[in-house]
Amino acid sequence: MNQLSEEDVAAALSGGRPDALALVYERFGPLVYSIALRSLGVRPDAEDVTQQVFVSAWRSRDRFDRSRGTLGGWLVTITRNKVADALRERQRHGRVLLQVTGGASVAAPEAPADRVVDRIVLADELAQLPEAQRLVMVLAFYSDLTHEQIARVLGLPLGTVKSHIRRGLLRLRSRLEADGVAY
Amino acid sequence: MSHTDPVILALLALGETAGTAHDAEHAESCAHCRAELARLTEVVRLARDAEPGETLEAPPPLVWDRIAAAVGTTQSLNGKAPPVPTPVTPEGRRESRSRRRPLPAWPRRRLASGLAGLAAGLIIGIGGAIGVAQLDQAPPARVVAQIELSPLPQFPQWQGTSGTAVMRATASQQQIAVTLRAPARPGFYEVWLLATNGVSMISLGDLSAGHTGTFTVPPDVDLRDYSRIDISLQPFDGSTLHSKTSVVRGSLPAAALG
Repeated sequence: MNQLSEEDVAAALSGGRPDALALVYERFGPLVYSIALRSLGVRPDAEDVTQQVFVSAWRSRDRFDRSRGTLGGWLVTITRNKVADALRERQRHGRVLLQVTGGASVAAPEAPADRVVDRIVLADELAQLPEAQRLVMVLAFYSDLTHEQIARVLGLPLGTVKSHIRRGLLRLRSRLEADGVAY
Repeated sequence: MSHTDPVILALLALGETAGTAHDAEHAESCAHCRAELARLTEVVRLARDAEPGETLEAPPPLVWDRIAAAVGTTQSLNGKAPPVPTPVTPEGRRESRSRRRPLPAWPRRRLASGLAGLAAGLIIGIGGAIGVAQLDQAPPARVVAQIELSPLPQFPQWQGTSGTAVMRATASQQQIAVTLRAPARPGFYEVWLLATNGVSMISLGDLSAGHTGTFTVPPDVDLRDYSRIDISLQPFDGSTLHSKTSVVRGSLPAAALG
């Protein structure tokens, strides 16, 4: 897989390259859409928010400062704002409906839970790992195999598996520190 | 005094028994190692806390079409869908949740379930690699038609569902990207081309769990003869025939078919 690095994509956006938005979307579309879907629960709303995030990112691309943060972190911030807008809009509709129907209360809108955002950021970084390392990390997280068992089933040297685990965890941690919310 | 080996800290964060008693003791008493272990453990906890269904999911193709329209670009996605990531929740995790204990005493399930997860991972990996290799070679495609798919009057249970089909064409092939907005039901959704003679039909393939899919029209099929797109709900009964339960349907405009 020849995926572009975040730096390449960010450089394309800052440089105003005409294909930059498509590159940004290809790299971060699943991250933005998944946060929106998980926060809003329904696909049409998540599709609307995803559209708003990338249109807004394109129009305000001059405001993205690579020296102050990552492109992923910037997009996560925009996504959280758009999700909060969508929830407010939903509540406004709910109020109007309740006035019409004489209902009592409306639950306050909530921004997407920070841990939800962090978990999706983590899933996004996991998906960026090289194939062999991703497989090791997925098995280490979810299969309940020990690192010795992982080495055996994958036919990899024990040292390779240990190093994949150590560096994989560090990479996931760095991404959470850069783009996460609560971590 | 030397700090705990970073590899041992990583394994401890995963809940494994690693290192010596001295390592464990040091990781407890040394502020640096304790903080390091806590950060790594939090990464592991976040990964394992993913709710069922909380996987990374690519937006349906129509979202990019709408963004491109809004910013006035004609840029296509290189004929390439956003990378489809590995699900973070392999088969079998949901059942195991109730048996979970707090970290770091992460329970070890049987080797068999690990192997099943591994097999799934390998299949996804291979499928992904082939998919990307094929798509990378595809020339840029242009959108020639976008139609809405609607439920049929004879199936009142599907009122309220809807779908979209975007047809793209290159010099050598035609692709149809389908998005369905329908509830999850037992079985799976399958996409068909229906002949204008009302008799023949061709299966294009199944929709993903996200109810989206992009299909290449078989090269020997003339869409002027198969201009209607139909999505059926298919039971898991092993039959390859249309279930006769049509969810939504729509017709490609003759103008787009040349």
